[in-house]
Amino acid sequence: MEVADQSLCTLKDRDSDEALLIATGNSQDTEAFNRLFQRYSSRIFALGMKITRNEQLSNDLVQETMLNVWRKARLYDLDRGSAQGWIFTTARNRCFDMLRKLKRQPQCVTADDIWPQQGDVDLEPVHEEQGSLVAESAIIASYCEQLPGLQKAVIEQIYILDRTHEEAAVALDIPLGTLKSRLRLGLSKLKLLIGVDQ
Amino acid sequence: MNTDLDCHPTTEILNDYIQGNLSTGLSVALSAHLELCKSCKQNFAKLESSIVNSWEQDSSEVSTNDFAHLVTNIVNQPQIDSDNSSVARQSPITEIHMLDHSFTLPKILAKAANDGLVWKKLGGGINQAKVDIDTQTQCEFIYMSPGSQTPAHKHQGSEITLVLDGSFSDDSGTYEAADFIVRSGKDEHQPVSEEGCLCFAVLDSPVTFTRGLPRLFNPINRYRFRKTIAQQS
Repeated sequence: MEVADQSLCTLKDRDSDEALLIATGNSQDTEAFNRLFQRYSSRIFALGMKITRNEQLSNDLVQETMLNVWRKARLYDLDRGSAQGWIFTTARNRCFDMLRKLKRQPQCVTADDIWPQQGDVDLEPVHEEQGSLVAESAIIASYCEQLPGLQKAVIEQIYILDRTHEEAAVALDIPLGTLKSRLRLGLSKLKLLIGVDQ
Repeated sequence: MNTDLDCHPTTEILNDYIQGNLSTGLSVALSAHLELCKSCKQNFAKLESSIVNSWEQDSSEVSTNDFAHLVTNIVNQPQIDSDNSSVARQSPITEIHMLDHSFTLPKILAKAANDGLVWKKLGGGINQAKVDIDTQTQCEFIYMSPGSQTPAHKHQGSEITLVLDGSFSDDSGTYEAADFIVRSGKDEHQPVSEEGCLCFAVLDSPVTFTRGLPRLFNPINRYRFRKTIAQQS
């Protein structure tokens, strides 16, 4: 699992929530998932009690949320913020939908529509002004050469070949999460080289 | 955008929104406002991370359940690779057209309007299209044609209005796109719009007209609201 190790390199602590969640997604690591479960079941229960004031519903919420965490763990990446934030969002959204279902409310909008995930928002493109686009592209291309090979490959896929994140991940044969991490590292390095503020 | 502080949701309401404590109607209005208002979006992100960071300390209630046995069941379930549902969830409607104007809607409102909007003329150049979002509130798009004036009215409960396009004025000021306006039971107002205005409104009880002929509608209005609520629940 060379790639998995690589994305974990950026995580200082292998027992951190982020490392455990990525291990759950990348290698179906049940031990990692078990640790997450132990850490979060009481937090999720307490959140459920706060919103529903009902013990049975809150117990259901723990099960429902952790099932979601397991099933969707592969979709988590560091761009979506902290693991705790991601699990909180999952718990809040599941709770909201559970209550809507109980009250037999119309299903035209779901909690995931109301609170879009941070990762759903695309990264801002490097260039914003259309004016001197060509000139800027040339300058950016020259800076690209100074990036480490892995980051350069990702930037090329996205900004030169104009591929989507998914297509680029397939082309480079790396997980989507790794691609996004490299892209982010590459972009911030580029910004540093070019001298623009974040 | 109106720089008046009153035209943004308060910290209190944002905190309730983050914790999932508001009605669906109100949550939808807030989600739409956050898409339109960068400073509230930043404020929201800050409040959310502080709620998330204090999650563990705030978790005093403990379940009597032993969850350990759940893990085995859960890890036998397949994991999913991609969230296709987010693509499928994309709404085909992102714009609505009124007369010769077209308006782009915030994503959540496009989703809510997905089944199509049925516009009803209320007189005075005011058009209303109700959206069936939850059983606690009445949600509607309001389009005020250029030069229109709503009858003076006050609210029994609260009314949240989110301006989506154009502008309108009342005694308290002028409101523009992205403004988030809260009116409580005490306020009586008579909005006018010179250039035309599209709004999304969330009411938690019916409007009472205070002047002129429309007062005749009050009993009917209240009846209708109750009826809508009854049908939904």
